[in-house]
Amino acid sequence: MHLWPHWLALIVLTPLVGAALTPVVALIDRRTPTWWALSTMTVTSFAATMLVLRIFHEGPFSYVPGGWTAPYGIELHFDEFSAVVGVICLVGWLAVLFSSRYTDSLPEFARGRTPYYYTLLLLNCGGMIGFTVTGDLFNLFVFMEVLSLSGYALVAVGGERIAEMAAFKYLLMGAISSLLVLFAIGFLYGITGTLNIADVTARLHGFEGPTAPAAVALGMLVVGFATKAAVFPLHVWLPDAHAAAPSPVSAVLSGLVVKVGVIGMIRVYRIYYGSGMFDLTVLNLVLIWLGAISIVMGAFFAVFQDDVKLMLAYSTISNIGYIVMGLGLATTYGVIGASVHIFNHALIKATLFFAVGAIIYRTGYRTLTDLRGVGRAMPLTAVALSVGAISIVGIPPTAGFLCKWYIALGAFQADRPFFGFVLIFGALLIFIYYIRMVNAFYFREPVHAEVAEAKDAPVSMLLPTLVLASLCLIMGILGRVPLTFIEPGVARLLAPLGG
Amino acid sequence: MRAVDDSLMSSTAPVFAVLLPIAGAMLAPILGRTSRSARNVVLVVACAVTAALAFSFVPATMTGEIREAYLLRVTPQIWLHLRVDALGVLFGATVAGLWVLVLVYSLSHMADSHRLNRFYAFLMLCLGCMMGVAYAGNLLTFLIFYELFSILTYPLIVHDETPAALAAGTKYIVYILIGGSLVLVGVVFTYFVAGDQTLTAGGLLGSETDVGVLRAIFWCFIAGFGVKAAIVPLHGWVPDAHPAAPAPFSAVLSGVMVAAGTFGIARVVFQVFGIEILTHLGVMPYVAAFAAFTVFFAAVLAVSEDGIKRRLAYSTISQMGYVTLGIALLGAGAAVGALVHITNHAFMKGALFLCAGLLSKRAGIRSVSEMAGVARRMPWTMAAFSLASLGMIGTPPLAGFISKWYLGLGILDAGQPFYLAVLLGGSLIAAVYLLPIIYSAYFREPPSSSAERDDTESEAPAGMLVPTIVASLMTLALGLAATVPGSPLSLAQLAVDAFFR
Repeated sequence: MHLWPHWLALIVLTPLVGAALTPVVALIDRRTPTWWALSTMTVTSFAATMLVLRIFHEGPFSYVPGGWTAPYGIELHFDEFSAVVGVICLVGWLAVLFSSRYTDSLPEFARGRTPYYYTLLLLNCGGMIGFTVTGDLFNLFVFMEVLSLSGYALVAVGGERIAEMAAFKYLLMGAISSLLVLFAIGFLYGITGTLNIADVTARLHGFEGPTAPAAVALGMLVVGFATKAAVFPLHVWLPDAHAAAPSPVSAVLSGLVVKVGVIGMIRVYRIYYGSGMFDLTVLNLVLIWLGAISIVMGAFFAVFQDDVKLMLAYSTISNIGYIVMGLGLATTYGVIGASVHIFNHALIKATLFFAVGAIIYRTGYRTLTDLRGVGRAMPLTAVALSVGAISIVGIPPTAGFLCKWYIALGAFQADRPFFGFVLIFGALLIFIYYIRMVNAFYFREPVHAEVAEAKDAPVSMLLPTLVLASLCLIMGILGRVPLTFIEPGVARLLAPLGG
Repeated sequence: MRAVDDSLMSSTAPVFAVLLPIAGAMLAPILGRTSRSARNVVLVVACAVTAALAFSFVPATMTGEIREAYLLRVTPQIWLHLRVDALGVLFGATVAGLWVLVLVYSLSHMADSHRLNRFYAFLMLCLGCMMGVAYAGNLLTFLIFYELFSILTYPLIVHDETPAALAAGTKYIVYILIGGSLVLVGVVFTYFVAGDQTLTAGGLLGSETDVGVLRAIFWCFIAGFGVKAAIVPLHGWVPDAHPAAPAPFSAVLSGVMVAAGTFGIARVVFQVFGIEILTHLGVMPYVAAFAAFTVFFAAVLAVSEDGIKRRLAYSTISQMGYVTLGIALLGAGAAVGALVHITNHAFMKGALFLCAGLLSKRAGIRSVSEMAGVARRMPWTMAAFSLASLGMIGTPPLAGFISKWYLGLGILDAGQPFYLAVLLGGSLIAAVYLLPIIYSAYFREPPSSSAERDDTESEAPAGMLVPTIVASLMTLALGLAATVPGSPLSLAQLAVDAFFR
């Protein structure tokens, strides 16, 4: 199947250029930025579709801008894990649509700042897309900074007093992790003399010099990306940042941006598994344990939150725990489960944040106590929220179940059944929160008149929420699509392990 | 490879039995907004057709035919598959039969309740999922429908939205989810070890598997299903959930939903492990001991309980102990008794809970101490109650006698006469906690304060009374017609023959 070769360049450039131009088009009319952002994301999504189709037919492929081949030029490389751009574009597109009404409710936007919000959102998506498709370590760092910096600003947009504090905390942790990653990339460049990921892997293979610098680089990369992914104990920045941000931003941050850390880890694994320099058993064991602690700790804290968004933020930590544990298990099923959950959790968490965002938009309240009875007032939104909650708990046959099933299988495959237990019981804690939510939303009398009289969300919010909620179900039933898709990628990643 | 494979027949009927109630559930809130009667008619028709489908499997099954349908292949490792074997037919017909009675009963019992669309929608969803449990052809299908109906039950338990109901609901869901998660661990583990998850008579797991692993899987399953089957000490949710739920729902909760746990245990024992491995593992005596303790412990608690529904709930725990005991003995006779007791108990306990609903609805009676003289006001209700009680105690020729007879023979066959004492003792205590209710209703003078109310309160309307009496008469019918081909007893025998071949 022949496809235009430049989609890979286009998917990176479109959101970045679109972001830069948003303030300019805003001069035309107040409403233009929304349409501009939407069309930018539409083009990007189309490019993403073409790329995913291409990898489906051809397998991984590269793009060399201007014909400058590695090691001189900067290579873009698209493999199965890069297909996450599909979900980035989908959630990003829906977040823009969701924001079109939501931004009206934010006081910050009263004075024409909306275009900058869209700029940041597009930059964030562009950064993520660049991060996932680049084949070059320095480029990886640059895109990580693009998405991190826009992320800090987007958190602060929330406007409440806590938002600035949360953004600052996020910035501080993010900056440290970025530095670590940058140093590590410097180390790797020093050792191998190249920044191309494939080249670094090849040159580290059979490397005969001292191995200590490569080990230090590995440590820094893992810590850096673990911070971005909010793995325990590096998670402290996440709950406030995700809860304080405007809801569509929370959906993007929680669903997508934390995954950057995980995808970064997969890239690191690709280098180090491929190079065969170290036996990574110890690192894997550490990751499994940290994953397990994240699952239980995140879920445990989530149960005690009254603020719905804070609960969702803690549940993200828990879910990142699943993914990290799956990666650490280093068995086929475990890594497949983790990779599929990168996709599925993005859909589920975005559903939840959109639904909660719509409820907050309509009622102005965000705690369980205040929101009593909202399920009857906003039935469709509440149903979407319920579907999302059931998925996040992993009740079959929703999307969340796949990850539980495969990572548990992976735990048995790795001969560590204990972690299968942890995984399955961690999800239970979250369900307790969900029961509290159902009780409050459906079975209690409203305490506020605004809640009792609220109407279902406006179409621009309801549509994204319902689309994602139905995807939570569809991706559960059509689980074989992402699964068979990611399988060759996982096999290639784990091939050097001889399994 | 296996003899049964010759008789496999692809069929879409089981799929309809699962989807039809779900379709009814979807329609309930839509129709309910415009016309209550249209909704009620559609629901009854959906439920009745489901029951007809469930009964239609009986003749073919008796000839040894097994219908199956592949629902969905989610991933190479996850697929849904329905397979209607004798055990499934027995349970499915029980579920659907009881559901028709309960649905008709609730139409008039719940008429003045709030949020009826929600109630009926979830009731029908539960029916669909229960049918899925009955006809599940592999472990994962079983698990999915089992988890779904367990969770969909929640809105029904908390239907009244009182603080007590919400508390009972929370307790229920926590227990059930822990149990469900244990089952999930067992299912994943089994799949990992066996590489397959189809439920077949010979057992899934091979005897070459490590004994420790087999024991781990076994206890995961037993503890998981034990929560639902209310094996002491995992029974905590039962006595709270039943009084909290609306009476018609208590009837199915007690009649078939608790039994779904024992049904799961039967599936695991006979079709995941198989007799040989379990005999070799030596775990079943422990299960039998737990079950025997359950029979006694719950029966004693029932005696000291004043609330009628709580007393009946403890009775359910005790009766389910019989079923678990019968399965745990690993003998053909005991297994037949256990499986047929699932059906017999469903109708007996269903009738009792429906009576309890009538008593509380028409006479405001919720505890045993208020029962004095009520038989004069509600003769039909009390007649139904008495018949079902006698069946529960095991009076010949009622249904309870049949199951206990087979259980007793099976116990002697298995060479463990001690459990015969459990069986008889349990029945004796059942008499102790049920007969005083009847005595009080018939022979005690009603308190003078209620004498004035006597004129205004009379027997329940036919809408509620007929299903109650039918459920109660089933006790008699299942006892008298036990030897007719196609009866629950014959189906249970057929199922057990396959397991013990």
